[in-house]
Amino acid sequence: MNRRDFLKGLAASSYVTLSGSSLLAPLNALASTRTDEVWKTTGSHFGAFKMTRKNGVIDKVIPFDLDKYPTDMINGVKGLVYNPSRVRYPMVRLDFLLKGHKSNTQERGDYRFVRVTWDKALSLFKDSLDEVQTKYGPSGLHAGQTGWRATGQLHSSTSHMQRAVGMHGNFVKKVGDYSTGAGQTILPYVLGSTEVYAQGTSWPLILEHSNTIILWSNDPYKNLQVGWNAETHESYAYLAQLKEKVAQGKIRVISIDPVVTKTQKYLGCEQLYINPQTDVALMLGIAHEMVTQELHDKAFIDGYSLGFDEFLPYLMGEKDGIAKTPEWASKITGVSVEIIKDLAKVMTKGRTQLMMGWCIQRQQHGEQPYWMAAVLATMIGQIGLPGGGISYGHHYSSIGVPSSGAAAPGAFPRNLDEGQKPLFDSSDFKGASSTIPVARWIDAILEPGKTIDANGNKVTYPDIKMMVFSGNNPWNHHQDRNKMKRAFHKLECVVTIDVNWTATCRFSDIVLPACTTFERNDIDVYGSYANRGVLAMQKMVEPLYESLSDFEIFTRFAALMGKEKQYTRGLTEMDWLRKLYDECKAANAGKFEMPDFDTFWQQGYVHFGEGQPWTRHSDFREDPEINPLGTPSGLIEIFSRKIAQFNYDDCPGHPTWMEKSERSHGGPGSDKYPIWMQSCHPDQRLHSQMCESEQYRETYTVQGREPVYLNPLDAKARGIKDGDLVRVFNDRGQLLAGARVSNRFPQGVIRIHEGAWYGPVGKDGSKQGGNEIGALCSYGDPNTLTQDIGSSKLAQACAAYTCLVEFEKFSGKVPEVSAFSGPIEIGR
Amino acid sequence: MNQTSINQTAQNQARARVYRLLSDLFAKEIDHQRLTCLQSSEAQAFFDLLATAPELAPEVNTLQEVLAGLNDEPALLNLAADYCGLFLVGGKQSANPYASLYLTPKEDEEQPLLFGDQHQEMMALLMQSQLQVQSDFPEPADHIAVILAYVAQQATRLGDKDQQAFIAQYLDAWLPEFAMRVSDRDSGRFYQALARLTQTWVRQDCEGLSA
Repeated sequence: MNRRDFLKGLAASSYVTLSGSSLLAPLNALASTRTDEVWKTTGSHFGAFKMTRKNGVIDKVIPFDLDKYPTDMINGVKGLVYNPSRVRYPMVRLDFLLKGHKSNTQERGDYRFVRVTWDKALSLFKDSLDEVQTKYGPSGLHAGQTGWRATGQLHSSTSHMQRAVGMHGNFVKKVGDYSTGAGQTILPYVLGSTEVYAQGTSWPLILEHSNTIILWSNDPYKNLQVGWNAETHESYAYLAQLKEKVAQGKIRVISIDPVVTKTQKYLGCEQLYINPQTDVALMLGIAHEMVTQELHDKAFIDGYSLGFDEFLPYLMGEKDGIAKTPEWASKITGVSVEIIKDLAKVMTKGRTQLMMGWCIQRQQHGEQPYWMAAVLATMIGQIGLPGGGISYGHHYSSIGVPSSGAAAPGAFPRNLDEGQKPLFDSSDFKGASSTIPVARWIDAILEPGKTIDANGNKVTYPDIKMMVFSGNNPWNHHQDRNKMKRAFHKLECVVTIDVNWTATCRFSDIVLPACTTFERNDIDVYGSYANRGVLAMQKMVEPLYESLSDFEIFTRFAALMGKEKQYTRGLTEMDWLRKLYDECKAANAGKFEMPDFDTFWQQGYVHFGEGQPWTRHSDFREDPEINPLGTPSGLIEIFSRKIAQFNYDDCPGHPTWMEKSERSHGGPGSDKYPIWMQSCHPDQRLHSQMCESEQYRETYTVQGREPVYLNPLDAKARGIKDGDLVRVFNDRGQLLAGARVSNRFPQGVIRIHEGAWYGPVGKDGSKQGGNEIGALCSYGDPNTLTQDIGSSKLAQACAAYTCLVEFEKFSGKVPEVSAFSGPIEIGR
Repeated sequence: MNQTSINQTAQNQARARVYRLLSDLFAKEIDHQRLTCLQSSEAQAFFDLLATAPELAPEVNTLQEVLAGLNDEPALLNLAADYCGLFLVGGKQSANPYASLYLTPKEDEEQPLLFGDQHQEMMALLMQSQLQVQSDFPEPADHIAVILAYVAQQATRLGDKDQQAFIAQYLDAWLPEFAMRVSDRDSGRFYQALARLTQTWVRQDCEGLSA
């Protein structure tokens, strides 16, 4: 039969159409009028930007006029919007759709989803909440695992989810966070505030007065690229000045760190190598030398602190028979006796600013290095002086940039309005705690009813049956994937609202697509601590696919409960922005001039001006009685009676060196797994945000995998060359990563940045079995290997840094990277 | 300019029907309503006619077999899950139905994988033809269903040569790779048969148009 006859036959048959109309419609005249060429203003954790469009697609992205030090990550911004990992439609895991709370939960991570309508997805979500509240009450629901969200005062995903779910019923919440859990718990006892999130002494004063700056496990040049709000990057101007002063010999900067940090490379400053996890021993050795040489400031200790007398016998060995001498410290830390003695002199001569990073408190006994560093700073006696004392946040969100002093715009409410009652109003947590330490939720799922110590209280784990996550990816930041899998098998229902198919989405039952920051209108504080102004976040493009803003998602959800008006207070997106702006304008009246909303929105920005330099704790130093610290005594507590009364074996009443459950360089466990793995904050992401930005990711991956940074001798000993695939493993898990061999990393230490997306495949690298215990991570998520233990009975915080591993050249069949593909059916 | 009747032949009407059907099948999952239509005697007759072309017969038969077996909700949902796994989620290596995934040169680091050059080109072409994608289909314009729908629209409006050039560039260039990826990844039989049917149909149509 020829083509002509064949087609004629078809033409004679009845016409089959599956839908009434074609996918194509006549061109709408309105739709073709574009405003693509107009530069619009917006912002993100990565900074503020200006953008244009081309045919409705984001085209050019340039830094905001005021950003003089934009991050390289600006190159990844377009990829945040247009990447293949986007959640495009509401989806439900097939077996959950068929069987609801009786679904086969072993299948989670086995990835078989179907698209549903928004109405269907939201009613399934509400039905699940109904079921859990009816059957188990509020202790069955944990909607308190929240994280870094995207920026914007109105659309903050945490607030929307918790307000809406809170209108439905009560639920388990968290206390603390993964970044600074141990630090923010110990420091209120010692210095009276969390310190980690407090404004620090202004950089201009540090640059003027400091003789020595100690960067202790601190890499500000890397970490200041991102901020909690739209980041101004103003700190970089000060780091540039510091670099000059280092070159001129005017300020001595010492980076105490096992590795050569990005900051050290940039500043060209000194590095002091220390064995991982031994910082407290070094601090004690320095303190001992200060005491024996009488270098410490006795007057300051007497006037401003409490408990040095209780600490001294421990330091000198009168209590435990071990004097914490430089010789003692040297053996543990790998730092020479001479250097320890010299540090005691250097720190007490001239003005010394200690700047602590966050990594060393993210370990077992992570409370101790922060406490002991505060003791060192007290012994130096310069707390409250410009360019002296101690800070715990100069690497975060431009802390140290003088604040404008203006009032910042408020945010969409996270809680219910006064007088509102949840649909399910029970507060009966059945004897369990309604708030649990942030990093202990997996333990709670696995061992409901168990009681643990936490910060002076007893916490009883609730019996969690359902989790709700929004703009949060705990399958990045929590430890020990295999343990997480066991826990997730026990859950009846998991709901995740996110922009991309994170691993958390893939281990969920209901997945709802939120749009990105660039697909909605919002406002933001420009500079979390600098508070430099108010930034308009103008919608660049309409929400992609069927994604919706968090505001819209939860307005629709509230409507299902008949509470739409209560939820929105009858205001639209733009009404809310106007309200938040007008309230900010009123709060600043007479102090900071702000134009009316329409003018602001059109201009895209209000500038509050520069701030005045300021010294942390100077008021306390001026008069500790009138301006006491927030500690029980109002003074710096070298010994804490309160903590001592808790009687914790892993957090006694004064700073103490304690051996870790795992420690490299001769420590426990190092005979089997000799390598310490550090999993610090990434250089080219914000935690796991932007890992999905495909082209940008390819600028740093090795054979498509996350880099693992290795010492040349360690690599050589295992036959590994730069660019090879490496299997990193321990008893907890295994991952594939790409070798980057570098002298910046000492023997016995490797680095894999956290935030690398989890992409499990079968144990042997085959496609099947990614949902199983023992799976291989095909991309290189370090939390496949980390330990899920609390820092101590005090903070019960994340201790990811207490982690030993081994590695080898990978010789198996190389699996495809499965981390960014959404729920591919790797288990079938 | 009135293009509507330039090429209004019976053959082209038939071609438009096939392209339209393929577009519909790729555009979304098969629900009860679509299934009723696909299981109707008219549809069966249409499939039977298609299967008279020996090159198309194996795939058309597979489609018919699968359709005949879709008797309950779980069966439909399972097919919907196949659709979802293939076309609604997935990264660079997936079988997603976007031309950009297959046609973007590897060294082109500037272009996003979604809503990239191919999307822009299709948008421009649609606009030239005074067309746009329906607002309830929020996919990039280089989605296979949009391209197939566009060919269906133009089948009776453009000359053979222009049609052939378009089909070769915007479909035939990537369908073999697409059909291969769908076949590799499909956990059922339907969509791999549909992808191969489309590939073969398009190749033959290209050849027919240039003959």
